[in-house]
Amino acid sequence: MAALPLAGIRIVDLTAVWAGPYATRILGDMGAEVIKIEAPRSPDLLRALSMLPPETEHSWNKSAYFNHNNRSKKSTILDLASETGRTLFLELVAKSDVVIENYRAEVMDKLNINYDVLRSVKEDIILVSMPGHGKNGPERDYVAYGTNVEQLAGLASLSGYLDGPPQKSGISYGDPVAGVAGAGAVMMALLSRSKTGKGQYIEIAQRENLTAMIGEAVVGYSITGETPARMGNRHPFYSPHGCYPAAGENRWFTIACRDDFEFASLAYAMGVPELADDPRFAEAAIRHKNQAELDEIIAGWTANKTEDVLAAQLETAGVPCAPVLTPRDVYHDEHLRERGFFERVTHAEAGEWDMERPVYRFAARPARIERNAPMFGEHNDQVFSEILGLSREQIADLRARGITADEPDMSAHR
Amino acid sequence: MTSPSPSPLRDTSRPGALDGFRVLDLSTSVAGAYCTKLLAAYGADVIKVERPGSGDPIRSHGPFASPEAPNETGALHLYLNANKRSLTLDVTSISGQVLLAELAGQVDCIVDDRQVGSLDAAGLTRDVRNARLPKLVTTLLSAYGQDGPNANLPSTNLTQLATSGQMALMGEAEQEPLKAGGYQAEYQLGLNGFTATLAGLFAAATSGIGDEIDVSAQEAMASTLELALPAYAFLQVDTGGVRRGNIPSSAIGLYPCVDGFLGVHAMPRNFPALARLMDMAWMLEDERFSTSAARLQNEDELRAMLYMWALEQEKKPTYERAGREHAPVAYVHDMPDLFESEHLKERGYLHEIAHPLAGTLTYPGAPIQMTETPWQEGRAPLLGEHTDEILRGMLNRTDADMAVFRGHGVI
Repeated sequence: MAALPLAGIRIVDLTAVWAGPYATRILGDMGAEVIKIEAPRSPDLLRALSMLPPETEHSWNKSAYFNHNNRSKKSTILDLASETGRTLFLELVAKSDVVIENYRAEVMDKLNINYDVLRSVKEDIILVSMPGHGKNGPERDYVAYGTNVEQLAGLASLSGYLDGPPQKSGISYGDPVAGVAGAGAVMMALLSRSKTGKGQYIEIAQRENLTAMIGEAVVGYSITGETPARMGNRHPFYSPHGCYPAAGENRWFTIACRDDFEFASLAYAMGVPELADDPRFAEAAIRHKNQAELDEIIAGWTANKTEDVLAAQLETAGVPCAPVLTPRDVYHDEHLRERGFFERVTHAEAGEWDMERPVYRFAARPARIERNAPMFGEHNDQVFSEILGLSREQIADLRARGITADEPDMSAHR
Repeated sequence: MTSPSPSPLRDTSRPGALDGFRVLDLSTSVAGAYCTKLLAAYGADVIKVERPGSGDPIRSHGPFASPEAPNETGALHLYLNANKRSLTLDVTSISGQVLLAELAGQVDCIVDDRQVGSLDAAGLTRDVRNARLPKLVTTLLSAYGQDGPNANLPSTNLTQLATSGQMALMGEAEQEPLKAGGYQAEYQLGLNGFTATLAGLFAAATSGIGDEIDVSAQEAMASTLELALPAYAFLQVDTGGVRRGNIPSSAIGLYPCVDGFLGVHAMPRNFPALARLMDMAWMLEDERFSTSAARLQNEDELRAMLYMWALEQEKKPTYERAGREHAPVAYVHDMPDLFESEHLKERGYLHEIAHPLAGTLTYPGAPIQMTETPWQEGRAPLLGEHTDEILRGMLNRTDADMAVFRGHGVI
């Protein structure tokens, strides 16, 4: 078995919440040593979103939301706003390959740790910034949180029920896709550095990263000059293509036919093969025009059948289809279980549970969850003594001065 | 017959991060196309293998810039295939498979998003690759992954969203679950494929050992259900079976305004700025709203106030004022808004690219801005535009060979 792809790479992680931490989770999964820095009085917000009773001891170490996004990392607490903290941070940077941050645009300058400063201590450092709007442009200092990104990117304007308003995603969608791009950016810079010996500064404006994921709508608008209509679950020219009720409360089933053949297979499976010859539906373009009628017929057929029955009938017929799985269903999904997607993990304070495995499955480098999420400050001593060479007395002094800490001050998130 | 290039494919005046890497792309969907679009824009030489005659199925998606040349001017193709070289090759024919195997020996990476087993059917099984091409990185993108009970099921963007958990969370409670606009499942798979491929290339470059990487759309998306999956996995709290619509809470919501929709995303520390933006600073002194716990108790009232307030606002002035005051309010940008955005203009994000048949159109720019190795602008190739230069230049085929391949429909 070969070493993990990023073995030997050290990454200093200044990110919090979701976008940045998702990037560094991937990098950690891929074998990098990720040292997550949090401030004593400004811990990662996700540590506060534990959903546990307020009296829970060390609840900041038991937040499932935090722990899922921060596995495969180490935790070190450092107040970068203090001169000593900043100096230690720069000493760490000098021994690292990459720094990654997702502060608002002006913060790295304010802390006096911008790219020029980092380069002065490590010539070939790679710095990745992941601001919402980018570091320049008139809106650079505007606040842009999770759900704002898809609004700014144009995605929300394309999402929505037929003739309905724009619709938000069920998640802060701009975050994880910026995270995946951030991890990719680090790897591109590492590849480039291995050839040229040079590091570089990289910026990912989250809204731009997401507009790139609706690129055909941008080019399409440039062709037609027409604002695209929202089309619910429909497809621009495939039909039927929708989400239909199944038996049971809030149970749904998707069916997507890409051509006449798949539609004929559907009609046959439904026991109404004559639909495939019906002049309203036989030909793709005409069927697309008449799909509301067709959707009613299909919904009438699906509504009293369970997803399992529907899947069994349509999968045999070769029709693309799938039940709408809730997060709970995903957790219990037989296919994912058989693939070993969930791995039992243990955590010194949070206990034991199932966590999703690294998504990129290398045949010769199987990635497991080597390291669960770190407790707040778990690697303070290790980083300060083994990497930065501080003595026990010096570390104690950092604690005494509040430059590091073993317990967070959570008041900023109340 | 050598077909002259109508215009250079891309701007290579500055070095790309992936200069020198060569990628063979067998994909036929948005996922693989987006993965290799990104690789190509950062410098990789991407050879896109297309079916002789019709080409990449992506080419058939309109709108079309030129009705006379639909196969060359569809928006999806122009966007996703930019910067790539086009090779027509029938990989189901014996000669096509011989050429494919030779090409595989000259690339660093293969990307394939077709049905599980397609690469095997073309003669490039894992055993063959491991034995003959030990440095090769193979990225396989699929709906469900390369194994497991569902691996061979047909799927589309819609069914991928359905099985990931993302669709169950989107939409209004009283309506059906909703897909996100465009091809978000496929784009997510493609973006993950891009990052996974880079990990593979870096590993191969440092260790000399290639690999096969299996990326499943379902797993990639199920990993990003925000709080819902972690909460269920850890606490067995089922937060995710209910769609919470456009206004899931008073802190987060999409509200209609005079000329569009405003988006609010208020963390506790931004609430004061939001209250001031609404000209309702009195809320900060009012015990019903002054703390986040109190606001949670009075959700409905606060939502109603936000709703009534938004109805009277215009999107652009409100957004600009919110920006100045650090209030967490944006607005839904539709296509005209994106094209008119002063912010995007100043950053040079949207820009024009010329194409011999589609003309000059506007495209999104770099999702990742690299200072030393920037994104390279480029256009989409014509179908088979580079067949000659690839087969002659890389595989040393002669005029006679090419004539035979053409005669037999191999290229």
